[in-house]
Amino acid sequence: MPRARVIGVVLLGVVVYAYGSTSEVAWLFLLAYWLWALAIAGGLYAAWNARGLEATAELRPAEALFEGDEADLLVGLRSVRGTRGPARVSGLVAGRSAGAGAGRVPEDGVEELRGLGTLRRGVVRTSGFVQESGDPLGLFASRRALPDRELALVYPRYASLGALRRQREVEAALAAPRAGSGNEIFGVREYQRGDPLRRIHWRTSARRGELVVREFEPPGQRTLTVLLDAAPKTAAEADQAARLAASEAWDCLREGGRVTMWAPGLEPSAHSWWELLEWLARYPELPAGESAPPPAGEAVAVTGGADRGVFEALAELRRRGAQERIWRLDEVGLEWPLD
Amino acid sequence: MAAGLKLRLPASPVEDSGAARVCAWAAFGVAAAAIAYYGQDYLLPPLAVGAAGFGHLVSYRRRQQPRGFWRQAAIAGLVFVCLAYFVLDSVGGIFGGQLPQAHFALLLVAVTSFDLKTRRNLYSSIWISLAVLYLAAVYAWDYPFGLFLAAWILCLAGFWTASHLKRIDARTTVPVRPVALGGLAVLLGGAAAFWMLPQPSAHPESPLVVSLPNAVHFQGELENPALPLVQFGDSSGANSSVDLRYRGRLSDAVVMYVRTGAPAYWRGQVFDTWNPSAGQWTAGRADFRTFPPYADQHRLPPPLGPQLGTFVQVFRVLRTLPDVIYAAQPVQAIYFPAEELRRDAYDTWRAPGPIHAGQTYSIVSSLPDYSPASLKAAEGVDMSLNRDPAGLSAAARQLAREAVAGSGPTRYDQVMALTTYLQAHYQYSLQLGHVPAGRDPVDWFLFDARVGYCEQFATAETLMLRSLGIPARLATGYATGDYDPVLNQTVVRERDAHAWVEVYFPSRGWVPVDPSPGYLALAATRFPDRFAASGLAHLIPHLTLGAPASVVGSLGLAGVLPGAAALAVLAVAAAAWLLSRRRRRSRGSAPPGQVELLRLYDRLQARLGRRRGPPETPLEYLAERGRPPLLEEVTRYVNLGAYRGEWPAPEVVAALATKLGAR
Repeated sequence: MPRARVIGVVLLGVVVYAYGSTSEVAWLFLLAYWLWALAIAGGLYAAWNARGLEATAELRPAEALFEGDEADLLVGLRSVRGTRGPARVSGLVAGRSAGAGAGRVPEDGVEELRGLGTLRRGVVRTSGFVQESGDPLGLFASRRALPDRELALVYPRYASLGALRRQREVEAALAAPRAGSGNEIFGVREYQRGDPLRRIHWRTSARRGELVVREFEPPGQRTLTVLLDAAPKTAAEADQAARLAASEAWDCLREGGRVTMWAPGLEPSAHSWWELLEWLARYPELPAGESAPPPAGEAVAVTGGADRGVFEALAELRRRGAQERIWRLDEVGLEWPLD
Repeated sequence: MAAGLKLRLPASPVEDSGAARVCAWAAFGVAAAAIAYYGQDYLLPPLAVGAAGFGHLVSYRRRQQPRGFWRQAAIAGLVFVCLAYFVLDSVGGIFGGQLPQAHFALLLVAVTSFDLKTRRNLYSSIWISLAVLYLAAVYAWDYPFGLFLAAWILCLAGFWTASHLKRIDARTTVPVRPVALGGLAVLLGGAAAFWMLPQPSAHPESPLVVSLPNAVHFQGELENPALPLVQFGDSSGANSSVDLRYRGRLSDAVVMYVRTGAPAYWRGQVFDTWNPSAGQWTAGRADFRTFPPYADQHRLPPPLGPQLGTFVQVFRVLRTLPDVIYAAQPVQAIYFPAEELRRDAYDTWRAPGPIHAGQTYSIVSSLPDYSPASLKAAEGVDMSLNRDPAGLSAAARQLAREAVAGSGPTRYDQVMALTTYLQAHYQYSLQLGHVPAGRDPVDWFLFDARVGYCEQFATAETLMLRSLGIPARLATGYATGDYDPVLNQTVVRERDAHAWVEVYFPSRGWVPVDPSPGYLALAATRFPDRFAASGLAHLIPHLTLGAPASVVGSLGLAGVLPGAAALAVLAVAAAAWLLSRRRRRSRGSAPPGQVELLRLYDRLQARLGRRRGPPETPLEYLAERGRPPLLEEVTRYVNLGAYRGEWPAPEVVAALATKLGAR
């Protein structure tokens, strides 16, 4: 796409050419031809340069990030068809502007490191990223909007609430034990090859039109459902709720228990530690899903007090025999770690 | 109340790119170098470039600071000083009066370079350097000026590149090979277009004339004539003469360059009085009219008869000439930097004094339609008196009558018949003996020598036409010279000094006719083909045979060097590209050693008398051939490469090839 500068070049060439035709200074024709040739070459170069460029963006460090960590953003450009340039990529990452420009983009790429500072819980994504390229003279520009992309999840901080002290050791291998062999019915799931036929829940299977089997818990396992507000009033409140939920989950999982995160109208979490953290990192921007709170031996509500759905779910679990506890955020406050 | 209209340019960003500033300064340096080279001015341009460099440095360091009042005031004051210098030097010539406009522009850039804060400021500096370059182009009459232009355009491209890269926060680096290829394509493509495409000429009637009063008066002094045909007397030219017994030296020295829209004869003095005893032509009339230095078509009489158009000539004199202002006739406008000009009775223009080397002046002439049909139709009252055949022998008169016998009834037919006769029956030569004492020089030419040069031919035709009752006179000046259609200019040398005939046609005035063999009888009757649309078939042979040859010829051996260098660079670049492409492809398609090994395997099979069949595995082939040691070794490498991807190093293959060669 031509920029204003190319109009200037062409017009300058026209003026020089016209003056050459009236002044008998033949060199002005050569100058005009060179100016026009510059414009033509600029257009061809820009068309060539626009193909084969690829924008890159990643966070450093690339491993698990928790709120309060510091990270750097690496934005760059890579050529997939030989050396290209000049080009620039720019946009927003975690609410901060970021970009990288290079006059020469080799195949192994160019990168620009930028500190993002202290991270907040949530999804770090690129937004409004634009890749610009053109000719070296700046006569023509090609502009391509890039789709938004998730770069990383920033998990909430957590601590063992039993001792109210900070726990940062992450046991990556820790996972919720698989249900299925206990005595108490935990729920139902889709039939898989190898499941005993006697566990098929025929009524549910008939209703759903596919085979469904009952799941049982191992005997004596602690099961915990953490209930959160679907729409916390503020981001700070959501952060604090996520921290408390993560801490509750951490304590339960350390004891070999099983944890589910649930919020009214939102899709509940899976049960492994990292899936729980991911759910909490995205909370409350989660996909919608209508479901009853999962059965549990213990229910903990973390709420600002405004969501009736949380209290109704807590009452339902209480009726089904679950022990209940409540973290009231207006009482706990938003400071972390807790005293 | 109507709202006031505010015209305000959008804000220009502060230019943070040091490289862009260097390019802007370099562009100015190129323009100043061109002025120094072509204006032979070696003092002010380097001073201005140095000052501008310092100014750029100051501007770069202070670019983020607000503009101070006193600095602005100082710069404004210096600009006025430059203006005063320009006026004083232009009018009074107190600093030499050489290129005052260029000096003004150079000083202006040097002064304003201390206040180049924004990108727009730098653009201003670059455009002024373009103006300086244009002033140099006015004086640049040779091809090397293209190098200055190329350097300037590269500086401009560099400025654009640096400022653009700064805008996108990129370092000033670019992909070298694509950009170099693009730059080369631009330079060669632009040069090819300049070379191949015709150069139009538009509205030459109103050239942009920037003139200031000039204090040069008529002085009554004359230099030795540069036109070897004419012997000068006084400044009026009345006593000047052409002596048929005298021939000046005709060297290859360049007399002047003429940048012209059409090839023509550059006419000087005209003679109408023949003295047979002395063998001399003189001008019979000494009256003249005075004109201001710029006389346009409103002051001059319109040309007679149909005209094809007008064209501009810019003359640059290279050696001192007498006061005759050479020009294509008829002149429609003239600009000559002097206090006043004179035009004599023969429409020849005179300067107040000698025209010194380096002098430039401009002429606008009309190009009359001298087609046969037009001249045959020329009718009217014949007012000319130049029909006195005095001094021509009876034999010559008889010859004239015989020459035109059988021609058509019109004056044009008779003139052309006589011209054709002289061109066909007499030879042109500069190696001419002396006219014997007491022998009429015209009779000697016509009946004894039958060989002559332009003066003999022109004199004979003039007198013979007069004997037929046709008014004629002798014109002198320079032939077109070596015309270069690319630069649209001619190089006029001493050897181009020429004499021809002017014949009076009623209602058309004096028409130039050239009886010398090898010249067109009616010169410059049309514009050269300028437009490709008028016929590429005409254009291409014209340029192929005309322009390059004349350009190279005018530059001598040095003229071949740029083209040869460009071809060499192109050839080397093409070879390097092909080589690197071949290497890339070979690297990309096969690992090292694979191709060599398979070729060796193929050679080995050929050596063994039978090639491996398509269903045959290498091991089967090896067993069938009796397991010769070299084949066994090669087969092992082939299988390792084909099935495990481990091809041997090229050195290993080379060693195997040596073994095969030794067998």
